[in-house]
Amino acid sequence: MSDMLRAPAEVKFAEELDWLESVDDSPKPFSWRLSPKMVRLFILGSERADGLDREISQKWFGDRSFVERAIVTLASDRGLLLIGDPGTGKSWLAELLSAAISRNSTLVVQGTAGTTEDHIKYSWNVSMVIAKGQSRASMIPSPIMTAMENGVIGRFEELTRSTSDVQDALISILSEKYVSIPELEDDNIVFAKPGFSIIATANSRDRGVNDLSSALKRRFNFVRIPVVTNKKSEAEIVRFRTEELLRRHNIELEVPPTLLDVLLQSFADLRAASASATSDDERLESALSTAEQIGVLEDAILHSNFFGASQLTAEALAGSLVGSLARRSPEDLAILNKYWHGVVEPRSKEQSGAWSGFLEGGRQAIATLS
Amino acid sequence: MTSPFAPLRGQLLSAAEALADGPAALPEILAGIVDDVDHALREPLEIFPVCHHSPASALAMLRRLREKQPKVIYLELCEDLQPLLSELHNCRLPVALQAFASELMDFPKESAPLSVIAPITEASAEYQAISYALDTPGVSLVLVDRSTDHVFQWQPDPSSPAETPEPEEDLHGDAVGVEIGDLRPRFAELEEHLLHHGQVRHWSEWWDQYVEQPLAGADHETYRQVMTMIGSLFRRLAPHDSKRYASDEDRERYMWTRIREHLAATGADPADCLYICGAFHAASRLAEVGSAPGTPDFEITPRTGTTWLYGLIPSSHSAIEAQFGLAPGSVSIAAATWQKQLGRLRLTPFQLDGQKGGKKKAKRALPPPSVTTGPVTDHLTGYLAGPPTLDGLDEEELRGWCVDIVRLARRNGYLASTADAIAVFETSVLLAGMRGRTRPTPYDFQDAAVTCIEKDTVPGRRDVKRLCEILLGGDRIGQVGYDALPPLARDVYDRLAPLGLNLEQRSIQRALLDLAARPELAPCSQLLWMLRYLLPDQAVRPIMGSRKLGEKHIQESWDLDLGRHQRTIIELGYEGVTVEQVLEQRLRRDAWDPKATAASALKAVEHSMLFLESPRLTEELGARAVELLSAERTVDDAPAVLRRIRRLLGHYRATTPVLPSWCERFVTGGYAHYCTLLPTTFVDEETGVRQVGAMLGFLFGMESLALSLGCDRTQLEIAVRQSHPESPAKVALLWAARHQLGDLPLADLRLRVDELLGNPLVVPAVPQYVSGFVQALEPVPRLAPFVVETISKAFGRLPDPVLLPWLPTLITTLRQQAAELVPVLTREAGRTFPGTLAAIDSWTPPWLARRPATATATGARQPSGGPAGTLLAAHPASTDAVAELLGCPGEWAPAVAVPASGRSALLTAFPATADAVAALVSA
Repeated sequence: MSDMLRAPAEVKFAEELDWLESVDDSPKPFSWRLSPKMVRLFILGSERADGLDREISQKWFGDRSFVERAIVTLASDRGLLLIGDPGTGKSWLAELLSAAISRNSTLVVQGTAGTTEDHIKYSWNVSMVIAKGQSRASMIPSPIMTAMENGVIGRFEELTRSTSDVQDALISILSEKYVSIPELEDDNIVFAKPGFSIIATANSRDRGVNDLSSALKRRFNFVRIPVVTNKKSEAEIVRFRTEELLRRHNIELEVPPTLLDVLLQSFADLRAASASATSDDERLESALSTAEQIGVLEDAILHSNFFGASQLTAEALAGSLVGSLARRSPEDLAILNKYWHGVVEPRSKEQSGAWSGFLEGGRQAIATLS
Repeated sequence: MTSPFAPLRGQLLSAAEALADGPAALPEILAGIVDDVDHALREPLEIFPVCHHSPASALAMLRRLREKQPKVIYLELCEDLQPLLSELHNCRLPVALQAFASELMDFPKESAPLSVIAPITEASAEYQAISYALDTPGVSLVLVDRSTDHVFQWQPDPSSPAETPEPEEDLHGDAVGVEIGDLRPRFAELEEHLLHHGQVRHWSEWWDQYVEQPLAGADHETYRQVMTMIGSLFRRLAPHDSKRYASDEDRERYMWTRIREHLAATGADPADCLYICGAFHAASRLAEVGSAPGTPDFEITPRTGTTWLYGLIPSSHSAIEAQFGLAPGSVSIAAATWQKQLGRLRLTPFQLDGQKGGKKKAKRALPPPSVTTGPVTDHLTGYLAGPPTLDGLDEEELRGWCVDIVRLARRNGYLASTADAIAVFETSVLLAGMRGRTRPTPYDFQDAAVTCIEKDTVPGRRDVKRLCEILLGGDRIGQVGYDALPPLARDVYDRLAPLGLNLEQRSIQRALLDLAARPELAPCSQLLWMLRYLLPDQAVRPIMGSRKLGEKHIQESWDLDLGRHQRTIIELGYEGVTVEQVLEQRLRRDAWDPKATAASALKAVEHSMLFLESPRLTEELGARAVELLSAERTVDDAPAVLRRIRRLLGHYRATTPVLPSWCERFVTGGYAHYCTLLPTTFVDEETGVRQVGAMLGFLFGMESLALSLGCDRTQLEIAVRQSHPESPAKVALLWAARHQLGDLPLADLRLRVDELLGNPLVVPAVPQYVSGFVQALEPVPRLAPFVVETISKAFGRLPDPVLLPWLPTLITTLRQQAAELVPVLTREAGRTFPGTLAAIDSWTPPWLARRPATATATGARQPSGGPAGTLLAAHPASTDAVAELLGCPGEWAPAVAVPASGRSALLTAFPATADAVAALVSA
């Protein structure tokens, strides 16, 4: 087991990537480590029809055309901007793409209100500058610049959180594909090597905070990742991530499949309720994304595991769901209360099973929080 | 006789063996599909398998018709639609053949109206066959599928899924669709599997890649064998226990029975005939299938007594896609492919004479038939063995698409440039490569365009995906020509002709009617008002002008959108022969509806007067209103009844010397009816104040008329006396009623209100009383000054916690009933309150001013006359003592008798003034 709390995708799936590289005989663009088809295979998993000797697991769940469009964009000379609601797997897809294409998914700039142009281009090691003057040695390249130098994929998380002038520093990087360092007299241009591209992610709920300039928009291809509403694929995602979590924590806990159904159904109900609500007060603050579902389950599993249960119970799941979703008091609690009494209660009468425990646990949790 | 397919059969069986872990049914299925093809080919009557919206089918059909030139064509289409086909040449495709029934027999009444549509597009095999058969002398076309009546007989639940479609997609309304050659996997897993491995997103794309393209240039034999094989495969993989499968089998039996009947009746040679059906049906192995005489027949059940009406309605590509669950744009793309293939293969399609739209081509005589009937050879192995032979990259075409999409995107608000065109091109090729094809399909191109051009927001009405659909074919909307329209629709167009507008155009037309200068346009205006009543909102919309009782306009202007609402006009045509007839039916239906109320009947009366000018109908509807009113047990509609009857009476009084008898009966009946109900409604909690107010309005407003017609006022007086409301609003209403009846003088009323305002226990309920008084404006309009006074007092004296929560309720009430109450109230308020700022300072409310000026404590008060005054004046001591006790110092002044009249009397009584003036003058 890796001694990293969370290993990046290229480390975690190193063995799979090595194997894929060894069997890949299709043409590869630029300095890509895998051909586009293999990148897709790595991300979406293999099937019998692919005729491979081993099975490649599916790592990202969603419409295959999104993955194809993303890969093709990276093979063209435009950057890729993944846009979508929080928790739809944008960053995970970005990480998988850069791990598969360039075996390095760690060249990441995190966009925040405090991100400056230095974080995108380069900054200086002040003490070295004082001691030896400005030179390439005293320069600290940003992850993006490192990606340019190595001809690999650089990532920019939450692009729209950083201010517009900082975002615009990307324009020249994406079009001219070089960064000049005017402070130096010679060797003052860093050219991007073939294979360099940028995957940025942006949260569609942040729209309007720092709008992208049209010039920058032009240099990115947008791929919109929708919230997964297909129950089957959502179940897959939750199962996949839960197994991973259990493995990571060495937890031996049984997760009954009926509980997964309860979780998926309750999220589907709450989403439907949110969609039909007319004002923000009638809508849960949470985006009710798949990631949120995983969070709820993870929380319930950890809680059950560390507080001595051998099996995940419906009560624990309900408590965790209420705890995660009730962010505003009283609005969110009122919605959950309404849901519990209007939907869960009749359902527990009809179907009993896990729903009865779910009803009880939820009631208690709501009562505690109220 | 050995089958030419034996080697292929063997090969497939050995493949099934190789997949030994596969399902046990695999060898049967694989061998079965080959056997099915073999069986179908042995049939002496040539079966031509087709698939809907497949250009390959249409091309193969076109070539086969030219080669074979059959004498009889049997077509899988509802047999009762046959007479409609000859009308097709008046229409611009796509249109849909429609069968419509609103009067049902033997079907559940609630499922009315039943409607079946069968859309016909230009790029379809069936249209090729229809055009060939109708325009070639000596060829007969026979529709053999079950009738529309059987469609519903065999379908237990005729309800179709209710969704709210886009306007273009709603061209078919909620009709049930029938289509020739429905070919699609019948269970979801198979379709999903095929899509997944074909690396395509939806069925149309799969079909295009694996069947359409390989078959586009194929010869007849290959086409026929491959299509039959696919039909057989889907048939064998379909769930056999479903109702749909059973109904499909019955249809096959039905069709073959009809074919044999026709063959026997006409003596046609099966070799000269062609049977066009979906590939699914071509692979049928039922006992009843086959043209050989002696094949068992299917017992065809008689039709129900339902009367079916037939017509053509306009259709569109998107409507077809929506109805049959096809991918958006697929029908348009099929149409574009058809045109392209025609050009490439240099073929001239069959087209009906006089067909609108499409390219006009000089008609050439058909070359003599050139059928070579050689032995059947195996064309399947070649198709199955190789990968689909797709067209190579057509760079020119793709480049054209890229440039066009950027242009289109720019026109729709996108910031797209030439750089985007280049990026779309590159991305399309890369995407296609990744999906294992050299030539980007239209769908790859669409994906690429979305990737490169679509950003975070859609600037205009259409997104890039939709733009691609428009670019690759564009929606086509059909039109039914004048001659194919039902009489009503033709009549509408004829009667609107004087407007001089092109009403067939699919855009909004502005009609300006200057009725003073051109009185001949008055009938047009009349018709437009009727259409306004009958058609959905957007079809005809008055911009200027209205139609109300007693009004006559000299100018009107209208927005007419009849082009886009042709279907609704055509469907109106199923209800009657003229608009007037349909309108009369509708009015009668409204009035005799089981849920009809007196108000709705009065509404029908009003409409009949506005639109039809038929005294007989109006009389009947009016009589119905009387009947309904006396049967009503609630007074929920009283406000509407009052409003309408008042308007009707006003109109009759102004226009006719005597009231119609139904009006008289309505008033007398209503007077008695409402008198009877008054006591209960006053108490009933569920009846609102407004309703009671309206009842009183009816009783007081119609009183003189009712009394003149023989009603008795005591009835009302007793009814009021019997009323004992409890809720404050109704109490106020009752007070107002009693005031109107002369039972409660205004002074008493005022006193009661003052008491209410002075009693802290009742203050919270005062707003409700005031609301009651506001409602009383309706029955007792002369109470308006008092209501203004009461409201002003309430505003002035109610404490904020009571006043503020009530204000919104008051405002909303006044808003909702603005037409009736607000004018009275504002007029009165305007009269009461000062109009200028300056006047406010010196303003005293009239209700205060009316009171005698309050005397100061020291001032002498005018004693009232009478014995009490005389007594007190005679013995002032006691009064003085009381005054002292109350803290009013001063002396009781004996009354100075003021003579009743005259200035001199005044001066005599107060001589001081006169003396002062005299002193002033003399000085």
